Amino acid sequence: MKQSLAIVSVGIRQMFADPMFIVFTLALPVMMTWAMSFLPKEAGVYEMASLGVLVMFVALNLITSAGAIIEEKEKGTWQRLVASPISYGQIMAGYFMKLFLLAWIQTLILLLSGKFLFGAPWNQGYLQMAVILTVYIFAMTGLGLFLAGLLKTQGQVQAVAMAVVMIGTMLGDVFFPIENASGIIKLITKISPQSWAAHALKDILTTGVSLDSLITPLVWMTGLGCVLLVAGVFKLKYDG
Amino acid sequence: MDLLVVKDLKKNFGSRQAVDGLSFSVSQGEVFGLLGPNGAGKSTTLSIIYGLLKPREGTVTINGWDISKERIKTKKMIGVVPQEPAIYPQLSAKANLKFWGKINGLSGKKLDRAVKRVLELVGLEDRANEKAGKYSGGMKRRLNIASGLIHNPKLLIMDEPTVGVDPQSRNHILETVKQLKDQGTTIIYTSHYVEEVEYLCDRVAIMDHGNLISQGPISELLNEAGEHQEILITLNSATEAVDKPVSSLPGVAKVFTVGNQIKILTGNAEQLLPLAFEAIVNQGLRVSQISINKPNLEGLFLKITGRALRD
Repeated sequence: MKQSLAIVSVGIRQMFADPMFIVFTLALPVMMTWAMSFLPKEAGVYEMASLGVLVMFVALNLITSAGAIIEEKEKGTWQRLVASPISYGQIMAGYFMKLFLLAWIQTLILLLSGKFLFGAPWNQGYLQMAVILTVYIFAMTGLGLFLAGLLKTQGQVQAVAMAVVMIGTMLGDVFFPIENASGIIKLITKISPQSWAAHALKDILTTGVSLDSLITPLVWMTGLGCVLLVAGVFKLKYDG
Repeated sequence: MDLLVVKDLKKNFGSRQAVDGLSFSVSQGEVFGLLGPNGAGKSTTLSIIYGLLKPREGTVTINGWDISKERIKTKKMIGVVPQEPAIYPQLSAKANLKFWGKINGLSGKKLDRAVKRVLELVGLEDRANEKAGKYSGGMKRRLNIASGLIHNPKLLIMDEPTVGVDPQSRNHILETVKQLKDQGTTIIYTSHYVEEVEYLCDRVAIMDHGNLISQGPISELLNEAGEHQEILITLNSATEAVDKPVSSLPGVAKVFTVGNQIKILTGNAEQLLPLAFEAIVNQGLRVSQISINKPNLEGLFLKITGRALRD
């Protein structure tokens, strides 16, 4: 466990030592959340937009941060880790915890800035929000590790991250309604974790739903996360 | 006692046989050199020993334990210094070493003492708190060595630790390795710089195309190299035109041309040199440098394979 925590600690220190990480993961989404605060506060418009910013940037952050494993393979630190007296499970636990914690730090900053700096009208469902966001972050972490195992370069990860996140949010009924969509758009809204998470969060904050009514998004995101995580962990192991 | 035993090791990548039935052993306290040109299989062999790759066939045991069955136990005994510095540039040297120490099971005061010890050993104690990304190439390599030594391993694997390094840093690295040798650390040292291997190693194995082509104590291998000296002539431009005129000269054992360099193995370099020079100049070529080297491992490699150790 100590070794996994060492991986978490070093990973977080590296990320926060990178000014570009601070800009794209924190500064930019906070600015966008501020920009969304000028939208009308009624009928869930602000909620959908600001939560869309949150789910989009959390996904972007998770996928590109997971791609840091590829950078570690290029630098040789991954190989040195594998050569150390630490099990593969401990290594992956460390990376998973690092990504999970980074995503939660980012999420909290966006939520708190939305509520206390930009006047977001969120006064209910904090437990439900925490559960949905935890499961969403889990699903995106699984996707990030899966792509880290599948792709070969950081450039590929960034390109795929943009594509996956943009398709999942823009076409996933997150920022603007796609009520009468059919075909591929409908399919994207059905499978995109961003879509599930954004809609669930909006329902929690505007109409105050209970956890029981969130079973479908929770099961879908958990299942997707598990499949992607297992696939990613195996792919990374057998690629050495 | 043999600390490391490699037996019948085989590894392929697709149709390419990277390691083909390799067997050797390394005794405790020995510095064992693994010499060979690029693509000989040295790095693949080392990657198997420290657990990064799985062999297709064969076994590797460290201190009697099979590395495939006792992964954690054997890895505790190994320190790795990879070819490229495996360090975190955003962290200081101290932070890097503390991390690798924790990964190797150290903590608290034991970790602090270990960090201090290796920083002093590699001469980075004055710049320990600076970000590693700001270091020169030589300093990064020294930090790379320190990271492999932090847990005081019984077996240190060094994969071409001086590649691309300035002469001052290179000397520092070689002296560090000598110091470790005097302290009784068992070291596997790979390089394609013959002079380093001859300086540091007790025994050497020469690899080519995934196989061992010769191994033994340095003195025995140099005997095997024979009494042939090597005349090394560097031309202004690459050519193959001199092979025939030079090889027909009396006293020439072998001639080999690599780019703009001609290597001539001979039993009497002083007598042959003026004749070889004349033969080259008569071809209309211009000579920029000449040196005479005594029998060395490069000559042995050349003698056995007909190729140079360095491309």
